[in-house]
Amino acid sequence: MARPFLSTQLRTGLQAPMATAVSILPAQQLATLEGAYRKSVARKRSKAALATAAFCAVLVIAAFGAEVNLRTLFTYFGNFVSYFDRILTLDSGARVWTDPAEWFWGWHKWLKMLGETILISYVGTLTGAVLAFSLNFFAAQNTSPGPWVRFTVRRLLEFARTVPGIVFALIFVIAFGLGPMAGVLAIAIHTTGALGKLFAEIVENADMKPVEGIRSTGASWLSCMRFAVLPQVSAGYASYALLRFEINVREASVMGFVGAGGIGQELVVAIRKFYYSDVSAILITIIVTVFIIDISTGWLRGRLFGKETRR
Amino acid sequence: MLVVEGLTCRFGTKAAVDNASFSIAPGSFVGVIGRSGAGKSTLLRMINRLADPTSGRILFEGTDVTALRGKELRQWRARSAMIFQQFNLVGRLDVLTNVLMGRLAQIPSWRSLAQVWPEQDRALALSALDQFDIAQLAAQRADQLSGGQQQRVAIARALVQEPDIILADEPIASLDPRNTKIVMDALLRINKHFGITVLCNLHSLDLARTYCDRLIGMAAGRVVFDGAPAALTDQIARELYDLEANDVMGGAPMPAPDGTTVPALGTAAAA
Amino acid sequence: MSQLPRPDTAELRAKYPGVFDRPASARLAMPTMIAAAFAIFVYGLVDLDFSPTKLISGMSQLGWIAMLMIPPNPGTSFPLYMQALGETLSIALLGTTLAALLALPVSLLAARNIIPSNLIRFPVRRFLDSIRGVDTLIWALVWINVVGLGPFAGVLAIMVSDFGAFGKLFSEAIEAADRKQVEGIRASGGNALHEIRFGLLPQVLPVIAGQVLYFIESNTRSATIIGIVGAGGIGLQLAEQIRVLEWQKVSFLILMILIAVAAIDFISSKLRFAIIGQRAVV
Ligand SMILES: Nc1ncnc2c1ncn2[C@@H]1O[C@H](COP(=O)(O)OP(=O)(O)O)[C@@H](O)[C@H]1O
Ligand SMILES: [Mg+2]
Repeated sequence: MARPFLSTQLRTGLQAPMATAVSILPAQQLATLEGAYRKSVARKRSKAALATAAFCAVLVIAAFGAEVNLRTLFTYFGNFVSYFDRILTLDSGARVWTDPAEWFWGWHKWLKMLGETILISYVGTLTGAVLAFSLNFFAAQNTSPGPWVRFTVRRLLEFARTVPGIVFALIFVIAFGLGPMAGVLAIAIHTTGALGKLFAEIVENADMKPVEGIRSTGASWLSCMRFAVLPQVSAGYASYALLRFEINVREASVMGFVGAGGIGQELVVAIRKFYYSDVSAILITIIVTVFIIDISTGWLRGRLFGKETRR
Repeated sequence: MLVVEGLTCRFGTKAAVDNASFSIAPGSFVGVIGRSGAGKSTLLRMINRLADPTSGRILFEGTDVTALRGKELRQWRARSAMIFQQFNLVGRLDVLTNVLMGRLAQIPSWRSLAQVWPEQDRALALSALDQFDIAQLAAQRADQLSGGQQQRVAIARALVQEPDIILADEPIASLDPRNTKIVMDALLRINKHFGITVLCNLHSLDLARTYCDRLIGMAAGRVVFDGAPAALTDQIARELYDLEANDVMGGAPMPAPDGTTVPALGTAAAA
Repeated sequence: MSQLPRPDTAELRAKYPGVFDRPASARLAMPTMIAAAFAIFVYGLVDLDFSPTKLISGMSQLGWIAMLMIPPNPGTSFPLYMQALGETLSIALLGTTLAALLALPVSLLAARNIIPSNLIRFPVRRFLDSIRGVDTLIWALVWINVVGLGPFAGVLAIMVSDFGAFGKLFSEAIEAADRKQVEGIRASGGNALHEIRFGLLPQVLPVIAGQVLYFIESNTRSATIIGIVGAGGIGLQLAEQIRVLEWQKVSFLILMILIAVAAIDFISSKLRFAIIGQRAVV
């Protein structure tokens, strides 16, 4: 059979044509092998094609459900771009960075609200983590005192985790009044749900052999927990709690949308009332804060527990 | 003719390969031996241009391989087929597609990216698989095969590259004795029947003596032996490995401890 | 009883000073940190106007509200709520899918094993991080300014905020891919596109699919809340009913959300299992 000629300048150095190390099979045998291959590949392919088609159909239905209108998007996409143009322009018409003092005119107030946001997420995370810590032993399979306790605690955690924090905030604002307290409690509850599940998983994955090892030296139950279980789980607990803190800062930044304190209040006013340059200024302060917290919690986790506990 | 001239590769200050020079005649079966960390893999990877030399040249039939770029470089890689210890197959692709990877340098990119393989390439790939009695596995995912089967797929991939030289980096280190024999015999057959040069890293001296026409011994990045297997006396072999052993300890070469190799208690902690 | 010879403490001390005389800083680090964490906590309680009286009266209020919520009852609005729930699910599904499609090419630019140069990778990463730093609700407000109130703004909001998250996750998945397989392609003479198409994507796509499915589930949750600012879905109804204190409807809506999320969770974990073939690791 005609093999494709290997055209390369390298080849020119060669005198004799290469002998190939593969002798082509007779056509008959090839056809059989090829047929078998095609048949088993076709089965996989048709399955994949079916799945793709089903997914696309669901997408189309969803597009109708969500009133997706590409015409609107194309007509108004310019708005999206020009929105960023506008939020980067001062009232005087100059670009924001030409006059930082004017751009960040409200920095004093904003920093104070930002501090409040961080405090909300700090207090909320710590409360949630402590609650999750005290509940997770009931939810973990290997430490739970009984199946029905475990079932109840699990459902409670699931509830706290599934209902979004801001929904709790909406309700708490009515019960506790406007202000950061509602935000803290909302974040604390949501955090309890999220961390409770993760903590319980850590406990379930803990190796019980060290416990036996420590017990075999004659140690008490408390010593077993302190020296065999805690070293295994504490790094994971703290790591997840730090991660959660970072997520909660982001969440706390919008608590103000429903009157539950923090910088969100300022932001929503700026967006709704079209104080364009304020929007960009507040957004940047939020982004920078989240950056700093992201980096510092990452650093802290690395410092405290080494690389392997990332994620 | 493959010629290596003063080839050096440094990682930081450490020379993984240090000023290696030799030439290899077409059709020979050359074994590269030495302890782990001696620089065998790095040497082969430089020849295939997976690793870039710090200095020195590699010439193949007069062409300076070290100077190749772009498409010509890829053509060279196809001509110097590489076989790896860990097979380096794409686990989630089926066996036939894995073998067809050996044709990438030869066919237009649009065809390969769209997986529209030329008919004769498919025939070539299936024939290569059949040669190793695994054509019936063509539709299986590569990661579902045993180690021995995977290595045979990898050799099939190397063969459809229609190489002039095969670079095998410890091809049998992850295999059991039976598959070791299958794979080494396959390499030998390719070498003897089709005259394809084989350059093979080996851990085991016995295997090297059985299969190779010529041995290159490396220690600490340097070529310390180059000759026929018969010339590799036990004395030289021990030196080859001992020098390396001292290097691992991080100390200056010292006389090998006579009799026992077990260090006295306490000296290990002091070292 | 066997007895080890008594060690010479002074000599050991001299030999391993780190074991016996841990510096004060090392011994006090943990208690100090805990004390500081607690101090900040107390400061936070004071600064955020926590007071026992407020807490108690709020709790009793909350108790009342909980009583008023039982039994959950949609009144006559059930069809409306079902439609809103459908809208929410659509928003989550579309937003996540679009985000994944947009993020895949960008994540290649943010992966170290594809773009070794910091010059490109770094700005791309920072760009993705900034997008991630802005909450979905904020993006929803921005998009409402662009395409008006309604679920479409919600789709775009989820798309943008997930784009940032996916870009980061995908690039991490790409960086975690097995280099040997890519090397196999390169050693056979494949070019950069071949390396991505045959060496990387087969490894990375299943991981990515698992992540997308996981996000569809968690975005169902996000999609329930973007309605609060007017971007469509069940959150709009929820916020409205809370505002007018229709607690039975509120509890019914929350119940609907819980059931929907559980259903999506079930489906997506089944699918993830089918795709990855083992317990999905996200
Ligand atoms: N990519 C790399 N980066 C840094 N050092 C390397 C790298 N590859 C190899 N080395 C070092 O070079 C030396 C030779 O390695 P190698 O060629 O793999 O030896 P061998 O294959 O003989 O075991 C080793 O000391 C190894 O640590
Ligand atoms: Mg090696």
